[in-house]
Amino acid sequence: MMLSLTTVLSLYAIIGLAVTLLTVVAKSHRTINALSIILPAAYIALALYTLASNVLPNYLLGGNYFFMDHLGIYEVLISGLLFLLAALYAKSYIERSMEIGEMSPNNLKLFYVAFNLLLVVITYAFFSNNLALFWILAELTTAFSAVLVVILNAPKNIGAALKYVFITSTCMLFSFIGLILIFTLTQNNLGAGTLNWSTLMTVASTLSPGILFASFVFTFVGFAAKSGIVPFHAWLPSAHSKAPAPVSAILSGSITSVGIYGIIRMYAVLAQTSELPKISYFLIAFGVISMVVAALTMLNQVNLKKLIGYSTIENMGFLLVGLGLGTPVAVFWTLFYTLAHAFTKASLFFSAGILHHQFESVRLDHIKDALKLQPFASWTLILGAVAIIGMPTSAIFLPKLFILLQAGAFSPYLLFGLLIVFLFATAAIGVFLIKMFSKRSEDGATELKQFNAPLSMKLPIIILLAAVFVLGVFFPQQLNDLLKTIVSELGIR
Amino acid sequence: MIIASFQNIMQILIVLILAAAAIIIVKRDISSLVKTYAAQSLLLSLMAVLLFIETGSISLLFLAVIILVSKTIIIPIFMTRILKRLNIKRDVEFHFLSPMLSLFVSVIIIILVYISFSPLLSELNLFNSSLFFLGATVGIAIVFMGMMVIFTRKQTITNVVGYLTMENGVVLFSLFLTELPLLVEVLIAVDLIMITLLATILAFGIDSTIEEFHNRLNPFQTNRKQSSSEEAEDDDFLPVQSFLDNKNREDDD
Repeated sequence: MMLSLTTVLSLYAIIGLAVTLLTVVAKSHRTINALSIILPAAYIALALYTLASNVLPNYLLGGNYFFMDHLGIYEVLISGLLFLLAALYAKSYIERSMEIGEMSPNNLKLFYVAFNLLLVVITYAFFSNNLALFWILAELTTAFSAVLVVILNAPKNIGAALKYVFITSTCMLFSFIGLILIFTLTQNNLGAGTLNWSTLMTVASTLSPGILFASFVFTFVGFAAKSGIVPFHAWLPSAHSKAPAPVSAILSGSITSVGIYGIIRMYAVLAQTSELPKISYFLIAFGVISMVVAALTMLNQVNLKKLIGYSTIENMGFLLVGLGLGTPVAVFWTLFYTLAHAFTKASLFFSAGILHHQFESVRLDHIKDALKLQPFASWTLILGAVAIIGMPTSAIFLPKLFILLQAGAFSPYLLFGLLIVFLFATAAIGVFLIKMFSKRSEDGATELKQFNAPLSMKLPIIILLAAVFVLGVFFPQQLNDLLKTIVSELGIR
Repeated sequence: MIIASFQNIMQILIVLILAAAAIIIVKRDISSLVKTYAAQSLLLSLMAVLLFIETGSISLLFLAVIILVSKTIIIPIFMTRILKRLNIKRDVEFHFLSPMLSLFVSVIIIILVYISFSPLLSELNLFNSSLFFLGATVGIAIVFMGMMVIFTRKQTITNVVGYLTMENGVVLFSLFLTELPLLVEVLIAVDLIMITLLATILAFGIDSTIEEFHNRLNPFQTNRKQSSSEEAEDDDFLPVQSFLDNKNREDDD
């Protein structure tokens, strides 16, 4: 028997709510944590099942508010995997946090409830066909992830969370104005207003390009804030560095993807009109500015997690450049880049989390004898850094290469500029690592007690790094087909 | 004749809403800020009722009721309670701009919005009604004015009022552009969620940082603390202060 799409979508909600309810009533940390592992596992299974058995894209009855297409499923798969590994990693991390008084045990359930609900909301955001619905769900992702940032007992976390909520929701109001404009435009042209993405795709070429461009700019402000594009990025480094490591991994891999996803959807609509070249320049400009600002700021960072946060901004900028180039090849590799970046970043944050619990801080002046005390986390951090700068055999390498080739075809100056920015970013990461690992105690003996990271914290890192380096040399046919289908569904020619 | 008087009343209401936004920019006393916000929302709700009488669309009446309940009753009460808990009355510190200067800037904003939105809105066939054009531009201008409140004030609670004002601007804008089924209502619902969230975050702050709170109230002690050790500087942050305020302290790591 084949499950219909309506059933699958309701299953997502039912499983999500059931797991959340069980989390509220469960007693031991072990059970609560297991529930948080089961939830993303079930989500991945459902997504794979839908991919294999249903004809996509597929719409939910009743106004077509929700739908499943290949892009949505692809994003849900990435987020599901991140949440799965983050939940696995979180158990020992959170236990240690409670041990050293970083987090109050009273907040344990709140953490897992927000964690589970965040996955539910992200999933539905990726499956919403209606842009207004997507907007609401994106706002809710801000709400739940802000709770996850503020969960630690530090006043600075409150500052980071406030910054996060204020900047993103202020910018998201501008997105709302953009949506109102689109709605009015379609109402004037078609008689009935619509915000359904699938409808907009078919009618875009008949709508006024000027207003569509204006509404793209408005919606871009909010979605760019969600993905940390300069100048709306101020929240990202502080939230990423203050949040617990599993949450940082999710912020960097999933929350930023929500913003990029919104931009991709809007871009696809605009790609059907004559405004495409304008949009390309617009996206490339914002992408390059983000990359330059992030790469230069990375140079004088003293906090490891903040450095990784700025690297996220740089990579998001590069995604915008890839999208702005707009050729099918560029978009294909941009989509793959989101996956490669999410995995590599998560592994980096997980490694940084182990170091955080060893030294109780990830600032340069607190870290000493890292290689000796935490050989595993140190080497995975180095491997992750090697991957994120795009060395060959890492999954970042191929997408970076192909997007750069496309950039060269677009304009050689853009290519030169991007290469110089990459040089700076690479130098920043290299210098930081050298500084960090060259610091030793003078007499060779350290006074710090070694923090033994259990297997549940190491395994996620191993899995992610293995995936990153395998995908760098071996590109599965199924993934290739999936990405090609997404590009054609987005109507990019 | 009836149409003309409708036009006049609407114009007066729009001007009053704009005036309320100007008062929010200038006022320093936080409880009167909240009251001004409530009054602005009441005007907005009144406007929705008038539009309902004019067009006969039930969804506008529904919207008016929602605005009345959430924005003039629930949110102000909620804010007043937070204020009592935080025990702050006035917001006297400003970033970048003084209130009078911000008022001047907002006049420039209104003009700029008017100029840049004219071609856009005329393409949407809204020029046939000067009233609707006025409403839409004032709506956008209020959005920017609210944003200015967020970026020039230091107290988080004032920033919240700024955010809410921005949202009133969006509602005003959408009232005049089109009849949005459920959309605006949902915006207000999300708004309630955000407010609850902010209150929770602030409550977290109060519970966990009573000590820092007192340190901050006594500037001499704070200075000594900052110079004595870097760790102390790390933790010295008052949650009721704006996210912009702790920028320097936070960027040290």
